Amino acid sequence: MINYLLHIVIISEIIIPFAIGLQLEIGDTGLYNFGHVAFFGIGAYSSALLTINGIPFIISLFISLAVSGIIAWFVGFPILRLRGDYFGLAMLGFAEIMRKFFLNEAWLTHGPMGIPGIPHPSFFGFTIHTLYQFAVFYGTLVLIAYFTVHHIVHSPLGRVFHAIRDDEYSANAVGKDTFRLRRVSLVMGTLLAALGGILWAHYITFISPSDFTLNETILVLLIVVLGSRWGTTGAVLATFFVIGFQEGLRFLPLPESFGRLVAPIQQMLFGLILIIIVLKRTGKWARKGNQFAQG
Amino acid sequence: MTIFLQSLLDGLIAGSIYALFATGLTLIYGTLHFINFAHGELIMAGAYLAYLFMIPPLHLSPFISGSLAIVGVVFLALLMDRTVFHPLRTANPLLLLIASLGISLFLQNLAQALWGAQIRTFPFPLKRGMAVGPVVITPVQSGILLIAAITIFLLYLFLKFSRVGKAIRSVSDNPRLAETFGIETEKIIRFVWIAAAALAAIGGVLYGADTNLEPHMGIINLVRAFAAVLIGGTGNVWGALIGGFVIGLSENLGVLILPLGYKDAIAFFIIIALLLFRPEGILGTRWGVR
Repeated sequence: MINYLLHIVIISEIIIPFAIGLQLEIGDTGLYNFGHVAFFGIGAYSSALLTINGIPFIISLFISLAVSGIIAWFVGFPILRLRGDYFGLAMLGFAEIMRKFFLNEAWLTHGPMGIPGIPHPSFFGFTIHTLYQFAVFYGTLVLIAYFTVHHIVHSPLGRVFHAIRDDEYSANAVGKDTFRLRRVSLVMGTLLAALGGILWAHYITFISPSDFTLNETILVLLIVVLGSRWGTTGAVLATFFVIGFQEGLRFLPLPESFGRLVAPIQQMLFGLILIIIVLKRTGKWARKGNQFAQG
Repeated sequence: MTIFLQSLLDGLIAGSIYALFATGLTLIYGTLHFINFAHGELIMAGAYLAYLFMIPPLHLSPFISGSLAIVGVVFLALLMDRTVFHPLRTANPLLLLIASLGISLFLQNLAQALWGAQIRTFPFPLKRGMAVGPVVITPVQSGILLIAAITIFLLYLFLKFSRVGKAIRSVSDNPRLAETFGIETEKIIRFVWIAAAALAAIGGVLYGADTNLEPHMGIINLVRAFAAVLIGGTGNVWGALIGGFVIGLSENLGVLILPLGYKDAIAFFIIIALLLFRPEGILGTRWGVR
């Protein structure tokens, strides 16, 4: 039982960076990135491949973050010329192409079979094995990530992000290089997503292309939309809520014949929640430029 | 050479189906100015409803099953509009997109809960294909081409000559101006949903006949439709029609060059390339500032 709770905590700790990265992009900068999961996948694959080939975890962590950040920097150059829903759908397209890449380039990614036997995190000769150690180690990383993002959002840089979200033309008019700053926001969000992906790969120890689908994008979007009123902290709380709900459902003593229905019904509920939040908050969000603003 | 001609024919058949998806999606985009992510689920619903009427216990003929499926999908679309999209009429298009993502997720998984995740096919008897020159076409495929052509012709007559059709074009052109000329925008929007849903349902049934059915078939078809819409220029019905054929042909001819595993990614490549280099579409004029 306690192991089960620890498992839920660890999964939440993996999803938190993923979610606050998207919150930084959508909630603070107004970049509706519907392809966020691509960078979760890139981080996971990159770190899995490096550590399997004998690179120590700590070095692999930094290389994987750098790889994801550099890819985001280059992808951002063309795609950030788009805005709003067009940007979102181009990123969705990028995520889907990445998934096809994971699936088809078997020489690198082992294709649909996935990568088994990813080593647990280790540093300075110490390897993490028990769930407690995972929870504490991941929790520490997540706290660092949270306070960094919290600091950035309340720094002058964060205020420029908010200005871009609320009115990009005005931000431009007062001399801010909005294209570069949106790119910076995309890269920051990406680093967080990649961190989540890396933590995921080394905890589950197995990854395959089916871990990085549109469903994961919708899950993290739901978390961000749920927590949007309370900014970064909201994303953290919403993650615990959604992951607790998702993993908790599996724990219910349901009859065998009902088991097949659990996953679809849970997804249906997520869909309904997404619709209801959008409908409930329309009045506040309908005002120009204030969608998902911190209240 | 034979492979090329056969791929060309398969591309045309697929394209005629995608054209139906795309014209419906672009009608919604042109009138309500948001990307309806749940359009794929209208397609899925059309295919599944027709399938349910065709199998026992009902065992209706394909034609009647298809017609009943259209009615069902039209009701589903009107229900979606009444409950979700109508209250959001003046909201930011991104909110509508997120709400439609929610609907899409809901309907996909409803289908999976009701009918399971397995792949299904229409209960058509297997028939030998007819050889037309070097290529082979099955009776089902020729039926698909015929029905798609008739649907497109009817759509043309509807938009070009009926009063409602003209009103739809005027509302999508300029809703405020249309309203000052006494056109009831809300009524026209209802007709747009009916037309788009009917197109999605017909396309869905034809797609089911051409390939097979599974609960998550909506997403990839939405992507194809969206790529076709972009080729045509958003809101341009005839552009979307041509775009549908372009997607169908490039998917079927593309696999002659690309690995088969990337077939479903071709529409995405087209979307990204178009958004970057020609966001106003190949045929369209620039709509708004992007």
